[in-house]
Amino acid sequence: MTEFLWSEADSLAYVTASARLLRLNLDEAQARRVAAHLSRTAHMAAALASVPLAGHDEPAEIYCPAPHCPQPESQP
Amino acid sequence: MTNLHTLDAPAIRAGIAQGHFSALQVTEHFIARIQTCDARFNAFTDFYFDRARQEAQAIDGMVARGESLPPLAGVPYTVKNLFDVQGHITRAGAKITLADAPASRDAYLVARMRQAGAVLLGGVNMDEFAYGFTTENTHYGPARNPHDVTRISGGSSGGSGAAVAAHMSALSLGSDTNGSIRVPSSLCGIWGLKPTFGRLSRQGSYPFVHSIDHLGPFANSVTGLALSYDALQGLDALDVAQHARAVEPVTAALGQGVTGLRIGWLGGYFAQYATEPAHEALLAARQALGAQQEVQWPQAAMARAAAFVITASEGAQLHLTDLQNRAHEMEPLSVDRFLAGALQPAAWYVNAQRFRRQYRQQVQDLFKQWDVLLAPATPVCATPIGTEWIELGGQTFPCRAAIGLMTQPVSFAGCPVAVAPMWPASGHGLPMGVQIIAAPWREDLALRAAAVLAQSGMARIREVV
Repeated sequence: MTEFLWSEADSLAYVTASARLLRLNLDEAQARRVAAHLSRTAHMAAALASVPLAGHDEPAEIYCPAPHCPQPESQP
Repeated sequence: MTNLHTLDAPAIRAGIAQGHFSALQVTEHFIARIQTCDARFNAFTDFYFDRARQEAQAIDGMVARGESLPPLAGVPYTVKNLFDVQGHITRAGAKITLADAPASRDAYLVARMRQAGAVLLGGVNMDEFAYGFTTENTHYGPARNPHDVTRISGGSSGGSGAAVAAHMSALSLGSDTNGSIRVPSSLCGIWGLKPTFGRLSRQGSYPFVHSIDHLGPFANSVTGLALSYDALQGLDALDVAQHARAVEPVTAALGQGVTGLRIGWLGGYFAQYATEPAHEALLAARQALGAQQEVQWPQAAMARAAAFVITASEGAQLHLTDLQNRAHEMEPLSVDRFLAGALQPAAWYVNAQRFRRQYRQQVQDLFKQWDVLLAPATPVCATPIGTEWIELGGQTFPCRAAIGLMTQPVSFAGCPVAVAPMWPASGHGLPMGVQIIAAPWREDLALRAAAVLAQSGMARIREVV
């Protein structure tokens, strides 16, 4: 896995451009704060991207923790 | 009569059934306590006292007619203010929701509580739109910890935690996406249950993260917790997220003990970030339950990362219009996180959901070998209100996010978790919860272990004057 390099300037540039796309009005101070949050998440996302996933690891199924099997009646 | 507020749900119901006091007397007692105490704790945002009196009088009418009483007859409870309550605006911790129309009917779980005879006292404080672990709500003020009012009550269901811990209600309903029932339970020293994802209907509750949101109860006793959970169960055709196919009551099995159960405790990630009170509480629970060995939960750090990414994306998308037009009216402590979430690349979100599928299988495999697993519910005891950063395992974390380090990986797998309130000496009077985790759909096992901890005397509620 290559080291994930993402600078404060990268983050701010991304926030500024993508905020315009989504019509989010950020002043400079807020853009910097948002960029700081996004940088932390970027490192988490980068770590997560290093987990090998197979083709069948796919998100089509509505999330369910496990098939539900009603429990047998408890014995007194 | 002076200590009615310290009674648990079965004791209140029994007292009413046996004629020791009426439901209306109980209700008036709790109303008086709220009016005396809540200024210290700021748990309540809404008071439903007229409704409470009507519900109590309905129970007293049943007593007068000699009818059999429902399971929560006359038991006072509160709801996190994201539950719809007929005739009232659903705040969801926000100010911008105050222009919304009042709810036309009760949320499904509120209706279930009414059918069970419970008495609704009010709506309680929370983090705005449930995005937080501290209930430091700028609009409505912080919910204060009843064991030290300079500290947080946890979140996002902090008002529920404070209301039950301060004996202003015997039960409460909350929501838990990444820990919002378990964190306040831990920090306020009360019992809490996050059921299996898809167990209880979410109809009529304000959503946060559709693919991870859970609802569940808080209580001042483990029996009250089980009774309320049983009352909340029901198959709701109008809830598209409900996966349960049967109602499976647990209260009758509560006393079966843990003999024969395979019980372990979580090491690795969970030990790394635990402070001394968390280690001490876990050790006490391990010993009381005869836990057999340390277990490694699969990919906990990655699961937390994936839950973090999904939460930010889904939560932000839900509020995108407000972020575009009214961001300045939103909670200043969370609005920047919402904005950052709105800007996350789709690739991050989809990767996190794909990981989740793989992770689910690994967690299910773990429960082929174990029935119950134990872990601290929070890395630390309640922190002072306003804390920005904390040190855990030699790393510095933003406090408001890191409080959920222990809970996020578990809810991301959808497992049911009961939280037992422990009182480690190193907490210096502050509680620390232990998560009792079971396989999906096995709330009964988590609650049986919780009942053993209660019987041991280690897990209990402490009185707040």
